[in-house]
Amino acid sequence: MSKKQLGFFVDVKRCIGCFSCAMACKNQYHQEKEVVWRQVYPVSEEIYPHRQSAWLSLACNHCQNPTCLKVCPVKAYFKRDKDGVVVHEQDKCIGCGNCIRSCPYGAPRYNPVAKKAEKCSLCWQRLDAGLKPACVQGCPAKALQLVDVNQFADPEAVQYIAGFPKFAALNPSVRFRAPSQPRVIRR
Amino acid sequence: MVIKDFSLVLFTMLGQMAVGLAIMAALRPQTAEGPSEGKLKTHWLVAGCLLVAGLIASFFHLGHPGGSVLTLTHLSNSWLSREVLAFGVFGALLAATWLTLLKSGTGSLLGRIAAAVGIIAVLVSGMVYAPPGFPALNNISPLVLFLLTAFILGSALASYFADDKLQPTLTMVLAVSLIVGLVINLLLPSMWLAGNKAAQMTGQNFLSSGWFWARIVLEFVIPLVALAAMKKIAVWVPVLVVFGELVGRIMFFGSVVHSAATIGGLQ
Repeated sequence: MSKKQLGFFVDVKRCIGCFSCAMACKNQYHQEKEVVWRQVYPVSEEIYPHRQSAWLSLACNHCQNPTCLKVCPVKAYFKRDKDGVVVHEQDKCIGCGNCIRSCPYGAPRYNPVAKKAEKCSLCWQRLDAGLKPACVQGCPAKALQLVDVNQFADPEAVQYIAGFPKFAALNPSVRFRAPSQPRVIRR
Repeated sequence: MVIKDFSLVLFTMLGQMAVGLAIMAALRPQTAEGPSEGKLKTHWLVAGCLLVAGLIASFFHLGHPGGSVLTLTHLSNSWLSREVLAFGVFGALLAATWLTLLKSGTGSLLGRIAAAVGIIAVLVSGMVYAPPGFPALNNISPLVLFLLTAFILGSALASYFADDKLQPTLTMVLAVSLIVGLVINLLLPSMWLAGNKAAQMTGQNFLSSGWFWARIVLEFVIPLVALAAMKKIAVWVPVLVVFGELVGRIMFFGSVVHSAATIGGLQ
C-alpha cells in the first residue's frame, strides 16, 4: 500500500466562486494584507465559454516532489512522513525568495513585513487536533475536500484540469472534478 | 522595462564579469615582469573587486542577510547552496592568485584553477535561475546566457588590461561570443513563442520591447561592425557591451513570465 499523501480535492463542478475558502484561511491565520495562501482563480472564457463562471480554488499542492523543499538553501521546508504535508519553518527562512521563484503554482508568497516566505500549511496543527483545514471547513458548497490522493478513486477526478499548469515532475497532490457544461435549451 | 530583483541583476552580472576577466587573465603569460607587470596585477585585482561588489549586492536580496552563512547547509539538493559555495571558492582562489602574484611574480596554475572554478560557478548559477516556476528558463538557456555574458564581458573588459600581444586573441574571443550571443538572443524569443502560455507571454514581452531591440543593436550589431572594421576592441566597445548586458539581465529578471500568472487560462 502506498504512503499516505494528503491533498485537496477541488470540485470545480460544485464551486460557486464565493471565496469563503480564501476568507476562512485569512480568518484562521490573519496573514499580512498582501499575502494570500489560498487564491480563487477565475477560469478563462477560452476554457469555459459560458455565461456562468468556473473557478479554481488553489493553495499549496503539497507536491510529492516539492521543488520548494529542494531549492531552499537553508532547509526551511520539510515533508511530514505521516501525511505528506509540506511544512515551511519560517524561523529558518532567510527570505531569499528562491522557493517563490521556483514553485510553478505560486504557492510560497513573500511576506514584506517578516521579510520571509510563507505558504499554506494545510492547517497541520488543525489536522493533528482532528479538525479539517480551515478552507475545507469554510466551504459552504462542499467543493473543497481533504483527501488521501493515493487512495482517492473518484472516477471523475483528474490531477490536471484545463487552467492548471502541468508539472509532472513535481506530482502535485491535488485532484479536480471538471465543471459541468450548462444545459442549453433551444426553441 | 520592468526592473525586478535588481540586486540579483548586479550579483549575476558582476560575478560573471569577474569570471570572464579571470578566464582572459588565465590566457595571459603569468609573469608579472616587464612593462605589462602592473596591468596583469590590475587585471586580477579588478576581477576580485567585481566579485566582491557582486557578493555585496547579493546580500540586498535577502530578507535576513545575517542568515546567509546557513545557505551552505543544503548542498545535497539546492543549487543556490552550491552557487554560494562555488563563488566562495572562486573568490578565495582569485585572492590567492593575486597574493601569489604580488609575492612571487607568478601565479599561472592558481589562476587557471580559479578560471576553471569560475566557469563551474557560472554553470551552477545558471541552474539556480532555471526553475520550474519560469517555463521559458526551465531549460539550458540560463546556463548558455550566463556563460556568454562571462565571455563577452570578460573579453571586452580585459582589453583595458591586456598587452598588445593578447589583443588579437581578445578581439577573436569577443567577436565569436558576440556572434553566438546575437544568434541565441534572436532565436530564444522565437522558441519561447512555441512553448506554453507563460513562455509565449515571455517571448511576446521580449519581441515587443524596444529595449530588447536596442540591446541587439547596441551590444551586438554595432560592436561587431566595429570589430570587423578596426580589427581590435575600440575603447568604447566595452561600454556598449556592458550597457547591453545590463539591459539583457534586467529583462531576464523582469520580463520572463512566471507560470502562476497563467493559472485559470489556457496553458
